[in-house]
Amino acid sequence: MPDRRSFLAGLVATGLCPKASWADVGSPRYLSAAKRPDGAYVLCGLSAEGAIVFEILLAGRGHAAAAHPTRPLAVAFARRPGTFAVVLDCTTGLETAQLSAPKGRHFYGHGTFSSDGGLLFTTENDYEAARGVIGVWDVQAGFQRIDEFPSGGIGPHDIKLLPDSRGLVVANGGIETHPETGRAKLNIPSMRPNLSIVDVNGHQTGICELDPEFRKNSIRHLAVNKAGDVAFAMQWQGDVSDHPPLLGKWSVEGHVDLLSPSTPQQRASMHGYAGSVAFSSDLTQVAITSPRGGRALVFDSESGELLFETVVPDACGIADHERGFVLTSGNGKICIYADRHPQRTTMHERAWDNHLVELAGAGSAGSA
Amino acid sequence: MLKPTILCLSLSLPSIAIAQDVGSIVDTHILPGYQSLAAKTQILSTTAQQECTPSSATLQSAYHDAFDAWVSVSHLRFGPSETEDRAFALAFWPDPRGSTPKTLAGLIADADPVIETSEAFRTVSVAGRGFYALEFLLFDPAFVDMGSPEYRCALIQAVLTDIADNSAAILEDWTDRYADLMRNAGENGTYRSEEEALRQLFTALSTGLEFTSSARLGRPLGTFDRPKPKRAEARRSERSLRHVVLSLEATRALADLMSDENPELDAAFVKALKRAETVDDPSFSGVAELQGRLRVEVLQQQVDLIRQKVAEDLGTSLGIAAGFNSLDGD
Repeated sequence: MPDRRSFLAGLVATGLCPKASWADVGSPRYLSAAKRPDGAYVLCGLSAEGAIVFEILLAGRGHAAAAHPTRPLAVAFARRPGTFAVVLDCTTGLETAQLSAPKGRHFYGHGTFSSDGGLLFTTENDYEAARGVIGVWDVQAGFQRIDEFPSGGIGPHDIKLLPDSRGLVVANGGIETHPETGRAKLNIPSMRPNLSIVDVNGHQTGICELDPEFRKNSIRHLAVNKAGDVAFAMQWQGDVSDHPPLLGKWSVEGHVDLLSPSTPQQRASMHGYAGSVAFSSDLTQVAITSPRGGRALVFDSESGELLFETVVPDACGIADHERGFVLTSGNGKICIYADRHPQRTTMHERAWDNHLVELAGAGSAGSA
Repeated sequence: MLKPTILCLSLSLPSIAIAQDVGSIVDTHILPGYQSLAAKTQILSTTAQQECTPSSATLQSAYHDAFDAWVSVSHLRFGPSETEDRAFALAFWPDPRGSTPKTLAGLIADADPVIETSEAFRTVSVAGRGFYALEFLLFDPAFVDMGSPEYRCALIQAVLTDIADNSAAILEDWTDRYADLMRNAGENGTYRSEEEALRQLFTALSTGLEFTSSARLGRPLGTFDRPKPKRAEARRSERSLRHVVLSLEATRALADLMSDENPELDAAFVKALKRAETVDDPSFSGVAELQGRLRVEVLQQQVDLIRQKVAEDLGTSLGIAAGFNSLDGD
């Protein structure tokens, strides 16, 4: 009796199963890259309750993944400054395509599909020109690169789809790097991060820059709720004794609010570094994690007031979950919070990597 | 049979004991380093007011002294050195897109009057300021006779005034403000405990060593198939190897202070410094050939062994867990 996965693989091979869906791989709600105790790097599908529903071996440490909205396809990016990404068929665990960055470009480790799943968008560095680029890949044509357009800034990192066909929002972190110098930051004195909205044809339709005093707050990671509000997590590049806000909200109406705890101790506890950001699906809460501070902070998304904080060493991945959030850590923890309280904690022998990616349609981002 | 003994020792030793006196590290390591930088850059700037011919032996000797002083504090990148981007303005390197020569050539081609006052010169891109820009002006054949001699001289003087001003500002900031923040850790918001101040020093030590391995040694090494000797740091004035040695000596001094002169950690530094003596290639031009490359590669391995010891032994003693995400964010 073949197991379900190889059975499905057989069907795919014979062409009898043209419409595999995420339900065929255990209906994961989230994807996360991880490291196993044997040193292997993997991409895992996780259920809403934090159970591993599938696991696929990767060639090296992954960063974020992009999940196809309907078909069980995941794109796993190498960590920046990687020049390749792999498309994995989650039913078979096999690579179905490889994405190679064009000459003179490298990936930043994030990407997103269009709402119909026909296109994939990737954030990239055009490093000789020191400008950010969004690469466009045709899914039907076997992930062929068909276009690229400017990201609207330097160092584009996270990218998310906005609802209501408003296009894409890009976190242009502002930091210039070059593959010859690894992750060395080359322009801190002159960096200017921004959030840009670009339509799928590459026309910039919106931009948000913070006040000059926050010029060194690199905007890196994003969350979008179904109303179209954007939450952004930042990493401070200025003086270590400053403790600026690390979370911002750009509402669909265009207002920008910066969210920060009221006490200096709590502000300092994040060590100037936010790793991931998420909205709760009921839109009332927004949360950031700090692996360096070993904690997550949850704010009221309307008043900006800190609702609670939770201390979890090496916490980084976060996504929405029913009436709250699910949090992952490098120590293997998956913690579920609801109504401000921890509901359930499970431990896995996996070091969960930076980001917990929610499948489109499953939660807050909704369909565009 | 020396080797097995060393192996046994390293297995039986517990993690390194940590010196708890941040104040003495400030007084014996940090302040003297920045005092020397301020003094040497002042001498260099004064020298250039009298003699700005690039080939002048007096000017070159003052240049080497001042650059030495910078490299010896180049691992102390926090607080005053980062305020107002002072360290970036002193040391813009690596420069993969060649911004330094581009900025300088632009200033010279336009005979840009921005060099006339130090306030105006501070608005020039950091790529056109500091020691690495100065090296082009003094040692690069393309620059030593570009534009008019008067403008070149005025540009060298402007770069040097700026270097001296920045070095003096870092020292003043350390003496007037930051030294006390570290000494009185636990009584201020910057360092809420002595442990936090020690962690800052630990970060400086490990990032300083990483920079030496990946940039100072790694850039010229390139890959086996494509070595890149022209990427070596300060190769025009033949200082590439010297920077490795000076940075190892400086990080060794800090590691000794932090670890109460832990003999095993110190021995790792001694080994790397001995290895550096065998390289005999001041600008790493020899990395293009097999023998030359191997010598530099072995030196890089020795530096990486120090890094490993620092991370595992010193880091563990400081309670800094090697977190999967916390040490390797993105």
